Amino acid sequence: MTAAALSSPLPRSRREIWCVGGGKGGIGKSLLTAALGWQVARMGRRVVLVDVDLGGANLHTCLGVPPPTLTLGDFIQRRVERIEDVAVETHQAGLRLISGASDLGAANINYAQKTRILNRIRALDVDIVLIDLGAGTSFNILDFFLLADQAILTVVPEPTSIENGYRFIKSALFRRLRRAAKGAAVQDIVEQAFDQKNPLGIKNPLDLLGAVEKEDAGEADVLRREIGSFQPRFVVNQVRSPVDASVGHQLVLACARHLGVRATYAGYVDYDDAVWRCVRQRRLFSEVAPRCPAAQKVAQLARGLLDGDSLSLTW
Amino acid sequence: MDARRTYYDVLGIERTASLPQVERAYRFCLEMYGDGALATYSLLEPGEQEEARARVREAYEVLRDPARRRAYDLSLATPLFRSMRDNGVAPAASYAAGAPGPAAVAAPTPVEEAPASPPAPFASGPVVLAEAVTGSALRRFREAKGVSLEEIAHKSKISSRYLRFIEDERFDMLPAPVYLRGFLQEYARAVGLEPRGTAEAYLSRVPPQP
Repeated sequence: MTAAALSSPLPRSRREIWCVGGGKGGIGKSLLTAALGWQVARMGRRVVLVDVDLGGANLHTCLGVPPPTLTLGDFIQRRVERIEDVAVETHQAGLRLISGASDLGAANINYAQKTRILNRIRALDVDIVLIDLGAGTSFNILDFFLLADQAILTVVPEPTSIENGYRFIKSALFRRLRRAAKGAAVQDIVEQAFDQKNPLGIKNPLDLLGAVEKEDAGEADVLRREIGSFQPRFVVNQVRSPVDASVGHQLVLACARHLGVRATYAGYVDYDDAVWRCVRQRRLFSEVAPRCPAAQKVAQLARGLLDGDSLSLTW
Repeated sequence: MDARRTYYDVLGIERTASLPQVERAYRFCLEMYGDGALATYSLLEPGEQEEARARVREAYEVLRDPARRRAYDLSLATPLFRSMRDNGVAPAASYAAGAPGPAAVAAPTPVEEAPASPPAPFASGPVVLAEAVTGSALRRFREAKGVSLEEIAHKSKISSRYLRFIEDERFDMLPAPVYLRGFLQEYARAVGLEPRGTAEAYLSRVPPQP
């Protein structure tokens, strides 16, 4: 199956921001983001990849392009006028890259600045903005994740990654709820919830709602809507078996049941030797080996994300 | 247990799920809550996981049995059954939107313990009622066992109001025999009577519907 055969019908002009997060490092976020961007561009969309991985911006390496001389940091520090000026072309037509700023963390940008960056990114003449968030649950990362149209959460089928995935979801959600909380008492409850050992015994968003409900039923309704509108999309990476693939379904059910979070399962990508062989050549597997299982799953994933489809459990 | 969560919610299936679908969902949920299962181990305490497994088994025991499932379905569809929410929306959406207050799973309650352990008074196995199976005979037997209607209602998810109609022989208020049979079997099971014979004996006394 060729990439062209997989593409969704054009045109679709609504600009979307997709963010790829995951909490844990080394689970293939950057590679997945690069492959996804490449694939979406192949499907005829104009894409810009944005690397905000603070620790190690390396999307350019994943794509096989030299390290860009201008980065997002140059735009933030106003060394360049327009955000377009820091976007570089790649091998793939329709795919550009805005490289990460190593000084983004040090710049300690506030929420308004982040919103401004995102608005400028959003104003780019593209269809899809795909942001690689890098590892961790810092506020910078969570805020980008929360502002995304598609909040993609990458995990691998390993306990540490899943644990971090849940932590990421809870942190992002509590951050959103903290911003939504109005009254001082409710704000205080949400702030306490950040601490896993809080005296209120709040372990998850459902506990939090229960505590807020007692304080202010009206605010609880607002927070309930905020929780309802938070819809992370799981991608399970490095899948080695059907059991691994089904973990995504379990995550969705567990989120609904035990966190009250309406997650979906966007798709999974196989563990594939072809991927690391390409990494060592500094080439993108989707480009070099489009028929390998991982590349085909990325293509399916791209199509699902473009069409808003998810994998659903069918018994 | 959160009274608003149906057995269908517990297994994450539609009301229309077929028996093979119930089986597959059951196996999926058991795996999901298994010891060290990836999706739940870091989310739940071991005790919570065991509770979740018990609830899954409880749901499965009812939904895989056509008679018990019919009775349960009726209890969901009937407005008299205040204890159950008539939940027409997809499970995930209902959890997220109508988030049921504090932890759907966290706090252990006596009700959740019940299905795991067999009811102690009936360790000798179900018995057949010596006298004619009338409403008052059922009541006497139940009271001798020290089981309240509310306990049966909790276990069977059948409203205590219907259970009382059974004992009062309010045939005009009881559902059609096809459903009543399921109710009677649940009642019998809960008090330690042999379910099938008890139900048939009671039904034989129900006058034909006008």
